[in-house]
Amino acid sequence: MVETVTSAVSPVIKRNNVTVSGRADGPVMMFAHGYGCDQDMWRRLLPYFADNYRLVLFDNVGAGRSDVNAYDRDKYGSLDGYAADLLEICDALDLEDVILVAHSVSAMVAVIAAAREPERFSRLVLVAPSPRYINDSADGYVGGFSQEDIEGLLASLDSNYFAWAEALAPMAMGHPEAPELSEELRSSFCRTNPSIARHFARVTFLSDSRPVLDRVGTDSLILQCSDDLLAPPEVGSYVHQHLERSTLVHLQATGHCPHVSAPEDTARAILEYLSASP
Amino acid sequence: MTDPGRPDRAHFEALFQQAPCGYLVTDDDGRITAVNDTFMRWSGYGRPRLVGSTLQSLMPVGDQILYSTHCIPQLGINGAVSEIAVEIIDADGGRRAALLSASRSPGSEGEPATVRVIIFSAHERRMYERELVSALRAAEEAEARRAEAEKELQHLALHDALTGLPNRAGLKAKLDAAPDQATAGGDRLAVLFIDLDHFKAVNDSLGHAAGDELLVSVAERLARAAPDPAAVARLAGDEFVVVATSAGAREATALAAELLEVIKTPVRIEGLEIVTSASIGVAVSGDEREGLEDLIRRADIAMYRAKELGRSRWELHEPAASDPTVDRLRALGELRRGINEGALRVHYQPRVDLRTGRTIGVEALVRWQHPTRGLLPPSEFITMAEESGLVRPLGAWVLGETLRQADTWRREGRRGAGLEFAVNLSARQLSDPDLVAMVEGALRLRNIEPSHLLLEITETALMADPNGALVSLTALKKLGVGLAVDDFGTGYSSLTYLKKFPIDELKIDRSFINGLGSDSGDSAIVGSCIDLAHAVGIRAVAEGVETSGQVQTLKAMGCDLAQGYHFARPLPAPDLREWLDVHADGDPVSA
Repeated sequence: MVETVTSAVSPVIKRNNVTVSGRADGPVMMFAHGYGCDQDMWRRLLPYFADNYRLVLFDNVGAGRSDVNAYDRDKYGSLDGYAADLLEICDALDLEDVILVAHSVSAMVAVIAAAREPERFSRLVLVAPSPRYINDSADGYVGGFSQEDIEGLLASLDSNYFAWAEALAPMAMGHPEAPELSEELRSSFCRTNPSIARHFARVTFLSDSRPVLDRVGTDSLILQCSDDLLAPPEVGSYVHQHLERSTLVHLQATGHCPHVSAPEDTARAILEYLSASP
Repeated sequence: MTDPGRPDRAHFEALFQQAPCGYLVTDDDGRITAVNDTFMRWSGYGRPRLVGSTLQSLMPVGDQILYSTHCIPQLGINGAVSEIAVEIIDADGGRRAALLSASRSPGSEGEPATVRVIIFSAHERRMYERELVSALRAAEEAEARRAEAEKELQHLALHDALTGLPNRAGLKAKLDAAPDQATAGGDRLAVLFIDLDHFKAVNDSLGHAAGDELLVSVAERLARAAPDPAAVARLAGDEFVVVATSAGAREATALAAELLEVIKTPVRIEGLEIVTSASIGVAVSGDEREGLEDLIRRADIAMYRAKELGRSRWELHEPAASDPTVDRLRALGELRRGINEGALRVHYQPRVDLRTGRTIGVEALVRWQHPTRGLLPPSEFITMAEESGLVRPLGAWVLGETLRQADTWRREGRRGAGLEFAVNLSARQLSDPDLVAMVEGALRLRNIEPSHLLLEITETALMADPNGALVSLTALKKLGVGLAVDDFGTGYSSLTYLKKFPIDELKIDRSFINGLGSDSGDSAIVGSCIDLAHAVGIRAVAEGVETSGQVQTLKAMGCDLAQGYHFARPLPAPDLREWLDVHADGDPVSA
């Protein structure tokens, strides 16, 4: 069912391991995964949309089955590099009126992309977004973390170098064209190159995308989880205040990944939002 | 009844509580529902403190983030994580290194999912892994530094340090990186060769710092104004190149016109407003594949035409191979490079006194060591140099080189000292207001007596602007140099002028000498020329003398000097010295 778009179309497709599934003539829903995972993260949510939407998924460069060789520290030294990739995918597939569903750090990538090419997107669905993770004492902004916390994360990533590397290993044996090996692929979920994970963590958790929020006029839905370590309620409110034409919905789901832990509730909230406004 | 092969519940309980590592059971959010004694002992926490709180809350924030972004979703999708390195903050606030493995049971109707976690102390392993990772990081950093240094070096090699633009190699590298990009869409490649007009004047009058500033300013303006995608490079000095894709010649020349305007924008340098202009040559690739070097060469040729046609303008190079001007302009470009790169030579032909048989002087004749065509005589390139104005630097070089040689011979104090050196002057040089100063400077540089220098001007050049020539010749004469009319008999000399010119010598054109003895008409002309020269009190010289018969005839006619293959062909300086040694004081002329 999942068709891997032929890389002959554009190098972008191979670079970001773009896959297209769902209803071929349906409206486009594009899914951008967050930090620490890859496009498999959306697996539980997709069945709720596959019948009516054309589903476009991809891996950020450095994650999943993306082209690790395309990882350029300068380009991906800010979220702009990821936003550029997202727009290039849209361009390569000629996508229009895209409903962009983005999780965690990719929610801000989505915001940057929408600020840059507003006409490309009809809706943004931001799952557990945060424009800045570190508290800002200058203006009292609450992001949830201190600078030291983030340094701790980077140290933790180093400690888990071997765990990450292990998660990476199955990638070499992945056979996307042989479905019988899907179990094997399953176990390679969230594979990431350890060095890239470390750099991406730094870029993600030290980013400040607050100024971009005010430049986005696209209709958007903010999904705020309960008890989300990475995006406390203050952050959801902040995003809502600064995103013109945004709707804030609190989910019962706890944690940072409602699409994994509570796919049904998450899908319902998105579908309600999509049907509420034309 | 207890089956010895099937342990009872108490066994399981003991296994759970007293297991060699910590056991915990949590829900999907990490909230602890059960914990074993081993974990409590290890962490120092009591059961009430642990049950109901989340496992993550026992970790430092970094691990919490990792657990939330990586482990929880992986458990949700994959059902397991293994050997994640975390730290657990114990009851005393200390951090204890641990490895965490967990598996998830999805749960069933009414039963929530459960996650079973084992945590075992990993102090030593953690230390070991830390060492490995820090060694890895150090290696990565060293590699990054090396790569950075390499990148920097490569940048330097491919860029012009002054303007930051690519240099010739950088331009090539840039275009090689995206080959055929231009032609893919049916577009052609256009090369604009830009040379600033009178840049030298800026350097000379305001200094090199100001010149550099102007170059940087032009570079910036070109980079800004060039369309995207285009490559702007600085090839050398005041030469820039813009390579752009173009639909055709019209578009490319429109760009050239635009860039001319951009370059003309006044710029303030050291408090002065400087307006500069440029000459631009445009070449557009044709239907056949053409290399960048060829396009640049064609644009270069067109640029020269733009200079010739008055500067501050563009010229398009038409690739028509049948166009003779193409060849000429190509050759012109080559000659210009030849002058700059030292491909010119001076050969010396002896001039012999017909009465004494002694060599009293030499004529300096320029040769061009052409890269593919070999050694070329002046007839192959002087006209071209004359028409293009290149003859001025060329002529100045020949004079300078000849006087340098004269100086050398004089220092060596051997044969060759005391010779008279005849050097040709072109019509362009004659009309150059700086000519006299140039000649004077060249003589002074080598401390050569002006009387040892003879300047030869063709009859045609003299007659092109007789009044102007008179002024120049008079000034030269005042310096004390000798003057000769070259190729005499081919032009339409007016005797009136000939008498007015302060000349010392008539050189009879070789075509008449050639006919001596066989053509009575030629013999009559040569005879009258000699008589004419003597009538106004100057020397008569025969050039192109090839036979002893001609020598005898000339002697009989009273001709003063002769030169030609009969005596010697024009020789490189060392060969000439040898020739002079062999023919010392002999009677080489009578042969």
